[in-house]
Amino acid sequence: MSQALASSPVAEIVAELLTDAVRQAEAAAVLGIADVSLEVRCGCKGPGTVAWLDSLDVPVPEKFNSWLPLGERGRIARLGMTEFLIEGDAAVVERLTTTPRAAGVYPVQREDAALMLGGARVNELLRQTCNVNFAALNLADRPVVLTSLIGVGVTVLLEQTAQGLIYRIWCDGSYGRYVFETLHDIAHELGGGTVSPQHLYA
Amino acid sequence: MKIMTCPLNGPRPVSEFFYWGEVRPMPDPDTCTDAEWADYVFNRNGAPGVKREWWCHTPSNTWFIAERDTEKDVVLKTYFYQGDA
Repeated sequence: MSQALASSPVAEIVAELLTDAVRQAEAAAVLGIADVSLEVRCGCKGPGTVAWLDSLDVPVPEKFNSWLPLGERGRIARLGMTEFLIEGDAAVVERLTTTPRAAGVYPVQREDAALMLGGARVNELLRQTCNVNFAALNLADRPVVLTSLIGVGVTVLLEQTAQGLIYRIWCDGSYGRYVFETLHDIAHELGGGTVSPQHLYA
Repeated sequence: MKIMTCPLNGPRPVSEFFYWGEVRPMPDPDTCTDAEWADYVFNRNGAPGVKREWWCHTPSNTWFIAERDTEKDVVLKTYFYQGDA
């Protein structure tokens, strides 16, 4: 399991590409991409995981490939049948990483590059980079999609916020720079760019 | 674009999948003959027809069985493996 990374896998490229502070709000409204790799997260999987999470009072999404909110700023995503990604709620992550695991529960090391996309033109970027039609998904189902984006295996979570629809994307950290740079280039062409996370998710 | 249906994640382009060969029951190495074991290890059935094959949806690492007509390259159905892996 893991908690917060010491440094983001995309820190260097983000520093290089970050939009000027005065333009970030404008860029985020069109198509913003932000690095959220440093959020606390952990993963677990196995046939005993659902019962173990229940015993720790952690809400478990009933449907495969869906998610539930955790606290004010966290989330738990069910990846397939018996794997879970927990992020953003430090208390829950702490509980899960310090409580002895039950039988049939195995840790999943999460050292992802984690990105957030949002803005009016985000679907245009996704249509260029991914085969899944995200616009056809029902947001009320809180969908999680495991697919391939510019050739990289990714987990995508759709979240409707007060500021609009945002897409959270996780991929292996070693692909982070390639994914971030490619998505930034497309976002830039569409009038957006790299922004701080608070412009997408207050 | 060819579409394959993952039993868990639904229809996806075939580029998201990995082929891992025909489902082939392994003979018991303690009781089979050397010839049977050598046949299992070295020989493959290349004749076209409907075959049961291992496939994996790589973004989610979901393994499943696809019944595929290898003569027409048409996937007839996909489902999770039932039995001892």
